[in-house]
Amino acid sequence: MNPRDDDHEPYDELAVGWALHALEPEDETLFGAHLPSCPRCARTVAETSEVMSALAGDLPQAEPSEGLRDRLRAAVEQTEQLPPPAGADLPADVPPARPSGATAASGGRRRTDAPAATGFPGYEPPAAAPVPPAPTAWRRVLPNALVAAAVAAILALGTWNVVLSSARDDAQAAAAEQAQVLDSVLQPGRATIAPVYRDGDGEQVATVVAREAQLEVVTHGLQVNDDSDSVYVVWGMVDDSPVALGTFDVVSPQTDLRTVGSASTGLDGYVGYAISIEPGRQMPSEPTDVVASGQVTS
Amino acid sequence: MGAVTRPARRPEGDPGDADLVARVRAGERGAVDDLYDRFRRPAFALARRILADDTLAEDVVQDVFLTVWRDPHAYDGGRGSFASWLMAMVHHKAVDAVRREESHRRRQARAEDDLALSAPTSARDVEDDAWTRLVAERVRAALGTLPDAQREALTLAYYGGYTQREVAALTRAPLGTVKTRMLAGMRRLKEELGAVAGGTAGGALSGPAAVDGGAR
Repeated sequence: MNPRDDDHEPYDELAVGWALHALEPEDETLFGAHLPSCPRCARTVAETSEVMSALAGDLPQAEPSEGLRDRLRAAVEQTEQLPPPAGADLPADVPPARPSGATAASGGRRRTDAPAATGFPGYEPPAAAPVPPAPTAWRRVLPNALVAAAVAAILALGTWNVVLSSARDDAQAAAAEQAQVLDSVLQPGRATIAPVYRDGDGEQVATVVAREAQLEVVTHGLQVNDDSDSVYVVWGMVDDSPVALGTFDVVSPQTDLRTVGSASTGLDGYVGYAISIEPGRQMPSEPTDVVASGQVTS
Repeated sequence: MGAVTRPARRPEGDPGDADLVARVRAGERGAVDDLYDRFRRPAFALARRILADDTLAEDVVQDVFLTVWRDPHAYDGGRGSFASWLMAMVHHKAVDAVRREESHRRRQARAEDDLALSAPTSARDVEDDAWTRLVAERVRAALGTLPDAQREALTLAYYGGYTQREVAALTRAPLGTVKTRMLAGMRRLKEELGAVAGGTAGGALSGPAAVDGGAR
């Protein structure tokens, strides 16, 4: 398993060039594909970064202008933090912050702006793995919209997790998580699908996936709620009177699959669905603030 | 990599850094101020060296600290020190900026200066503390032990922000030779700098004994 030094020498060289941000594009692509699976290279990059940091100590020290501190303070004041990666410890008293950008934007910024976890600034994670084909019969009877929602969820989760951490363990955990989401959304059986659109700008922010006794929401743009004093409620639409079906929380501004807690059955029997945000943790008899709604498409 | 094997760093060293990172992760905006106090000078010095422009350098420094604030989990404590990670980001963003800003012509003109400057600098501010001077002396001594060609390749890439192909063109050497020189030079520097360059080990820069030791 352990490559002999001379076999691995070209990668050792690339690792140093990578840390120095001096690779040619073709080498960068080559090494970017190699790095995630090579602990030795990850260590080489870290070592090179340490030496580089020491080299910076030989520069004439200089003081930036006092105005820079003020500008930085102002910028920090106006900038929300990205949520921690899955599995990271989030202090209980810190409400999840919502990044200003949409999924694609924030994911992209992570890729291009921030050095990845091991200190290799140029690391571009490989594209999310394609969803493996499932050659079983039930797959074919799934409505396209459902598959589309699942694929969107997998791709977004994949990108998100992979860019957050290039560590192998985390990537494996992310893959397991994705498989779970995939299984959950693509389980055999009849399902009712309703894309829901945000009130106001009409942007699609979630997809409701309803089965007889199970309700799930693929969220992709709903604001993270404070789960100590608010909750999202899914409403089934019959004529003009909505029926409260269950509650869920949005814990990530990224695409995520939320299972809706519900005691009802016949959850798939509605012509449309709406999502509201409610104060407190209880389902009211009528929605307070409908944030999104949509009709069943399948 | 426990505290015991940590090399001697600045007196206020690593535990303080870990603390600050934890505070930033907890959403404390004031912690960015403290990080800025700790790292603004080396960060600005590096960005200014690469960009040769104070305004652009300040933009890079601001961008770096703002990035740390926005995404503090991007730093993985299991790999290397926070200081080296932060300085790597400064280097990366400054190099990106210099490649964006500089016209080809200006780069060529400056390349001559960079070649001349590939010898270690000696200018110092009077207010540098003893630690800074010590590091600088160690670094200069270490660079001094390198064969000229290796030192040239590394300093052009690190301080100059040149790609390997540009370094090859500037030094009239084949690309493969430049790659080999950079690795060999880094190995030598790592050996020479020892404690100053941090406690990370087990990669291609460490001695054979540590290679593939499996420790993270």
